[in-house]
Parts: sequence; C-alpha cells; structure tokens
Amino acid sequence: MNQLFQFLIRQRIILLFVLLELINVWSIFKYDDFQHVLYLNTTNRWAASLLATSREIKTYHHLGEVNQELALENTRLRQEIFKLNAIKQPESKVPYFVSSAMLNRYAPVASKVIDQSTQMSQNYLTIDKGLVDGIKPGMAVISSTGVVGKVMSCTSNLSLVVSVLHIENNVSAKIKSTGELGYIKWPGIQTEVVEMMDVSKYKKVLKGDTIVTSDYNVVFPPNIPIGIVAKVGLEKDETFHQIKVMLLTNFSTLKYVYVIKNHLLDQQLKLETVKPKPD
Amino acid sequence: MGNSFQIKWVFIVFFSLVAQIFILRDVALANVAFCFIYLWIIIKAPIHTPLFYLIIGGFFIGWVVDIFYNTHGIHSLATVFIAFLRPTFFKLLTPVNGYDERSSVSLSEMKALWFFPYIFVMLLSHHLILFLVESADATLLMYSLLRTFASAILGTLVFGMLELFNQKN
Repeated sequence: MNQLFQFLIRQRIILLFVLLELINVWSIFKYDDFQHVLYLNTTNRWAASLLATSREIKTYHHLGEVNQELALENTRLRQEIFKLNAIKQPESKVPYFVSSAMLNRYAPVASKVIDQSTQMSQNYLTIDKGLVDGIKPGMAVISSTGVVGKVMSCTSNLSLVVSVLHIENNVSAKIKSTGELGYIKWPGIQTEVVEMMDVSKYKKVLKGDTIVTSDYNVVFPPNIPIGIVAKVGLEKDETFHQIKVMLLTNFSTLKYVYVIKNHLLDQQLKLETVKPKPD
Repeated sequence: MGNSFQIKWVFIVFFSLVAQIFILRDVALANVAFCFIYLWIIIKAPIHTPLFYLIIGGFFIGWVVDIFYNTHGIHSLATVFIAFLRPTFFKLLTPVNGYDERSSVSLSEMKALWFFPYIFVMLLSHHLILFLVESADATLLMYSLLRTFASAILGTLVFGMLELFNQKN
C-alpha cells in the first residue's frame, strides 16, 4: 500500500496530465451534457456581457457605415411597402387591375440631412442628394416616422427641402379612420404641433386619431403618417373643427430622410393642367 | 522571483487572454493563419516552473479561451498537451553542456537557433492537436494541416517580434 502511494506521488504529474486530458476529451465528445451543467461557452452570462461590451466598442467606429447600410435597406423595404399598398386596394366590386407602372410608381432615395432649421417660421432642410441622383423639385420627402416636406430646389449634388414646419407649406391630409379630408398647416410656434384645417364640424374627430397624407395628393404617396390628433376644439359660429395634431416626425433629431420619386408625376400633372373642354 | 516579477506575470496572463478573446478571436489571415497569443503564457513561463503548476495553468487558460471560442475543451486539450511536453522539448533542444543556469525563456539569453525552433515546435504541436480535433473529419485533413503550418509560422513570427520588443538592452 505504501509503495502504491509512493508510486502515485512519483507519477503525480503524469496522472494529473492524463486526468486533465481525460476531462477535456470527455467534454469535447460529451459536449451537450457538459454544456447543460456549466454553460462553459459564450451563452454564459458573464462571457456574453463581456463580448457584447467589446463589440460595442469595436462597432462604435463603424456606426456611420452601419447607418448608411440601414438607410439603404430601409429604402428597399419602403419601395416594397409602396408596391404592396398599390396592390392592396379597398374592397371594390369592379375587378381592378394594377398596372406595373402604378406598382412601381414610387421609388425612395435615402439621403442624409446635412443642415436644417426648426427655429424660424419658414424652415428648410438641406440633404445630400441632388439632380445627379435623380432628385427634382416637387418630390416628397419623408422620414422613417412620417412626412418631412417637399423638395424645393436642387443643385447637382444637394437639395433644399421645404419642411412641413413652414408656415406656407400645406399638406393635403386625411383622418385615417374616417377618411375625412383636410390639409395640414403649421401655425409657426411649436415644432411638434401642426393644425389640421377644413374638417367640417359635422364630422366626427376623436383625440388620438391618426392623420395621414390623402390619396389626392400630388406630392406625397397616400397614407404616409403625419401625426396624431392631440386636441379637438370648436368655437362658436365656426364651420370647421380646430384640430391640433402632434407630428410623428421629430424634426430636431432628423438624420436620414427618403426622397420619394414619383415616376408618374409628369403624366399626372400634364393631364390635370391641360383639361380639355367638355362638349 | 521578486514581487515585481509576479505582478508582471499577472499582467502578461491577463493581457494575452484579453487580446486573444477580444481582438484576435475574429482575426484570420487568408482564413488559414490564426494567431493564438495566449500560448505566450505557456511558452514564456520560467524554465523552473514546476510542471505540475504549468499543466494546471494550461488547463485553466485553455478553458477560458474555450469558453469564448465555443470549442468546449479543444484549446484546453492542446494547451495541457504542450505544457506537458515542454520539458521534453527543452531536453531535446538544449545541448549537453546546457542552459541549466538560465531562468527565463528569452531571445537575449538563448540563441536564436534555440529560441525559434522551440517556439515553432511548441506552436506546431499545439496547432496540430487543435485543428485536427476541431475539424474531426478526414476529408478536411489537408486543409487542417495547412492551417496548422500557416498558423505555426505566423505565430513564430509574431512571438519573435514580441520578443524583440521585449528585449532588455
């Protein structure tokens, strides 16, 4: 017995080596059992939080590129939404066919906001896409959250956008739930609040209703969110509701916007301006 | 074995693990050459470190790396293996009249003709086990061997450079 202990002590290094290697081999081949016992992998809470922190530090330097990519991807998704919306028509009894020109009517272009103001009564944004990228005056500009404005003028690489926060820029709008038409106007005071005009007092408007762009809008695609009804008032002898709308777009933190190219705009304008006389 | 020496070792262990886990984990040259800088700990351990501690140290260091590589024991297996073989490599490489009075593994104390083969053999045996066990597939054999050699050469270059910076003048 004593000799056995002597032997074990003399050979303890080899024994340790064999033991540890057996543990490793067992763990390699019986991975699943071991994993359940100890979670010795990156799903371990401490390991995961360490890796997450390190990734955060590393990716911080790539945030610009990441944003760019996300904006591009959003552009694609948005185009998809326009297509789907065009296909999905309200319940009509007449067989309705969407032409491919209508389907591909809207094409978004992601662009970055270079400069903007929100303090004035006439506010503009400068974006980094221009004539070269196919931007033309009159195109709609929206953000991921809602309407932003309308392209006013372009240089070859930059464009100037009239913000919704411009006292003379009106946007044709409707109440999403009832379809009541009206238009949006900025009174020029708070950057979060606009007013909806021209909604008859005999129509029902509720606080919390969503306001979207109307279908009869030359600039914006239909059903782009604008804001939420925050307050409905009615003064004596007035024919219209006084509706205060909270804007969904936060203009002070706007970084990326989408300019919407409308491929059928020329045709539409041509038809609507040159109206033939009825016999 | 002064106090500052021990502090230096704690730093070496800590930083080589951190560098391995957070930086080198995602790095591969041409997808064949990997750098396992944590082996610096085993390679540079003082010559008279008891083998018992070296093996246990290798086991735990390997496991820390395994946790972050999701390899559940392969790194540990290979690291314990080279820790165990280290004295054998010393004996094979050291001439008869010996470097017995030396205490640390370094380029300034050893000749380059000793130092680089030592690192290369250590890395090669580690990577051989690591890549063969990891691929665990005979069809990938040539690819694993390519990875082994490429990584061992890269590792030798990297450790050689580290050692040049580490030299005391």
